Amino acid sequence: MKEKAAALPVPREGKEPAPLGRSGAGTIGGSVPRPRTFFMEQRDLGSFSLPPSLRAKLVAAGFQTSQEVLDVRPCELSKEIGVSKQEALEILQVIRGDCCGNGGSSGNTARKYTALELLEKEQDQGFIVTFCSALDDVLGGGVHLTKVTEICGAPGVGKTQLCMQLAVDVQFPECFGGLAGEAVFIDTEGSFMVDRVVDMASACVQHCQLIAEVHPEEGHQAALETFTLENILSHIYYFRCHDYVELLAQVYLLPDFLSEHPKVRLVVIDGIAFPFRHDFEDLSLRTRLLNGLAQQLITIANDHTLAVVLTNQMTTRIGQSHSSLVPALGESWGHAATIRIILHWENKQRLATLYKSPSQKESAVPYCVTPQGFRDIQLPPPDLAENKTNPRKRPREEEQ
Amino acid sequence: MDWDQLDMNPRVIAALKKANLRSIKEVLNLSGADLQRLTKLSSTDIQYLLKAVSGALRKNSVLTALQLFQDENLGTSQRQKLSLGCPVLDGLLRGGIPLTGITEIAGESSAGKTQIGLQLCLSVQYPYEHGGLESGAVYICTEDAFPHKRLQQLIERQSQLRADVPHDIVQKIKFGNSIFVEHAADIETFHECIAKRINVLLARGMVRLVVIDSIAALFRCEFAAKDSVLKAKYLQTFGAKLHRLSSTFRTPVVCINQVTDTMGEALTDDHSSPCSTGRSVVPALGITWSNQLLMRLMVSRTGHLVQPAGSTLRIMRVVFAPHLPQSACYYTVNAQGVKGTRTETPT
Repeated sequence: MKEKAAALPVPREGKEPAPLGRSGAGTIGGSVPRPRTFFMEQRDLGSFSLPPSLRAKLVAAGFQTSQEVLDVRPCELSKEIGVSKQEALEILQVIRGDCCGNGGSSGNTARKYTALELLEKEQDQGFIVTFCSALDDVLGGGVHLTKVTEICGAPGVGKTQLCMQLAVDVQFPECFGGLAGEAVFIDTEGSFMVDRVVDMASACVQHCQLIAEVHPEEGHQAALETFTLENILSHIYYFRCHDYVELLAQVYLLPDFLSEHPKVRLVVIDGIAFPFRHDFEDLSLRTRLLNGLAQQLITIANDHTLAVVLTNQMTTRIGQSHSSLVPALGESWGHAATIRIILHWENKQRLATLYKSPSQKESAVPYCVTPQGFRDIQLPPPDLAENKTNPRKRPREEEQ
Repeated sequence: MDWDQLDMNPRVIAALKKANLRSIKEVLNLSGADLQRLTKLSSTDIQYLLKAVSGALRKNSVLTALQLFQDENLGTSQRQKLSLGCPVLDGLLRGGIPLTGITEIAGESSAGKTQIGLQLCLSVQYPYEHGGLESGAVYICTEDAFPHKRLQQLIERQSQLRADVPHDIVQKIKFGNSIFVEHAADIETFHECIAKRINVLLARGMVRLVVIDSIAALFRCEFAAKDSVLKAKYLQTFGAKLHRLSSTFRTPVVCINQVTDTMGEALTDDHSSPCSTGRSVVPALGITWSNQLLMRLMVSRTGHLVQPAGSTLRIMRVVFAPHLPQSACYYTVNAQGVKGTRTETPT
């Protein structure tokens, strides 16, 4: 949502030296002149979210634009317009915050990107691979950063497994084509089993060791020294939320936590549905809270360049002739996630269907859950075959 | 909630009180814009307020997976499980039943569900080092009368079943005294039972296991097909209540469930397709109930006889669990109780 809004002003900037034509020149980001700051400081005071009483005092004292206010110090301002020092300080904070672009939504929308910049940014970001190459291909490389991905499925189909796998995969060292990030895991159902994560992390470490043996390149050994089971585990931050109020509170606290832990590239909420599916008499409240939550998550994903992965339950929708399984939480929640994957069983085979995506076509691929984790479907023996396919896959990603 | 305890500007606290907001929940139920309207505070204030309130609710609750992994504390460790009282079955479940979450044991009648339930009621009373939780159990019957005679028989033979535990320890435990039996034949009684009575037992630490035998019986008779929405609502409420109890008191909740035959194509690609072979059966109560579960076990008879005693060989399958692969293990039920067998597939 936010991105669409940011991409809209493209035609206006296109009148200046056309950025698209210079795509060969490499970096272009800084060269486009931006009159933004100047423009911002001339903003009318009426457009700031100030209490009306203070705004009236400012105007009465002759202040008209933000620039004029920013030029004075808090003490002077307090004397000049006859308010307490604290209030004067707050006025300045609001105005400075809005102008410098870190004071809430108005600052963020002011930053403009061209479509080309956005494309380059997205390509630089990389993906979190799932370890199931078929699913990675369907997703266009893996789970996207700055996007909200929702995984839906019946109990036992592998939602939590995929989440745990991603929490390990996001830590893949850079020289192996990973992100070397960290993960936040918010658990509402109590299904995060650390023993299972240990299985997956050990398999992942082993996998890297095998790659390093096959491709003895510089840096691999050094990366392996820090890519250990203990390190992986200590970079998964686990929060347990018992009800929806705790979940909402946790999401309010996330931005601060993420600023303290800037390497976090993945936030998992497993699952979003459970706390919202019981004891809600007021369904409009539920819809409102969920929409608010979705909006916050999109903001978090954008501001901190990370992937948000949610899991959702399935529910039965009774149609006129037959009933079918659909993701829970209703129609409006369907808009919350940018990418929606549905995991389901078909003839004793697990399938992942990409159900909604802005860039990839809808398709279904088989996968399986092995003792090592979430993997491609393969003929036995699974671990031998897998070690053959994956090293080939890594270099290809590095070339990009 | 006493707002004065929060680390906030007195002006903001006054505004909160004036807006008649009394609890953290009320504040978090409102959107930022609504709060701004109600309290007439600025958006910066509201942002700070939301963070302060959230912080007060959540405290500092972060744990790393490494801390979870290395946690040796009996009160919090995830590694701690409730033993089934048999090393082979415990091996299948990686140590036993997880302490938080709802575990379901589903199966046809006479597959041995109640036997497993009873055995859990006994094994929970053992000391920690022998897989127990040093506490009693609540057994909620919803259909049949509680099998007292069978329980007595099992208690008498505990020292034979648990040969691994020193004899004097087994002798010292008064098994019968710490099993509380509740009967709940209808939904209201059951609701009161889990909402109030069990709470008391758990809060006093007299009980660290809740067995419900069976959850499906409550819903079988009372609801016609058209009441499915109401039924789903009850299931979700019960699921949430049991979840809450389980995580508050770190008490495993074991629900015994019946199975239903699947009919035709429409249901065979259902979520729980890997069920017992031969007749195709699925656990009762549908996906609404499945969504409440942490793990699901299915038990069934195989039709083979085990030679020495002539008892039927049965099989326990892990249908889903976040920490276990789909796997299975054979077991038998005899006078001493439920025992897993290491034998491979009988020919």
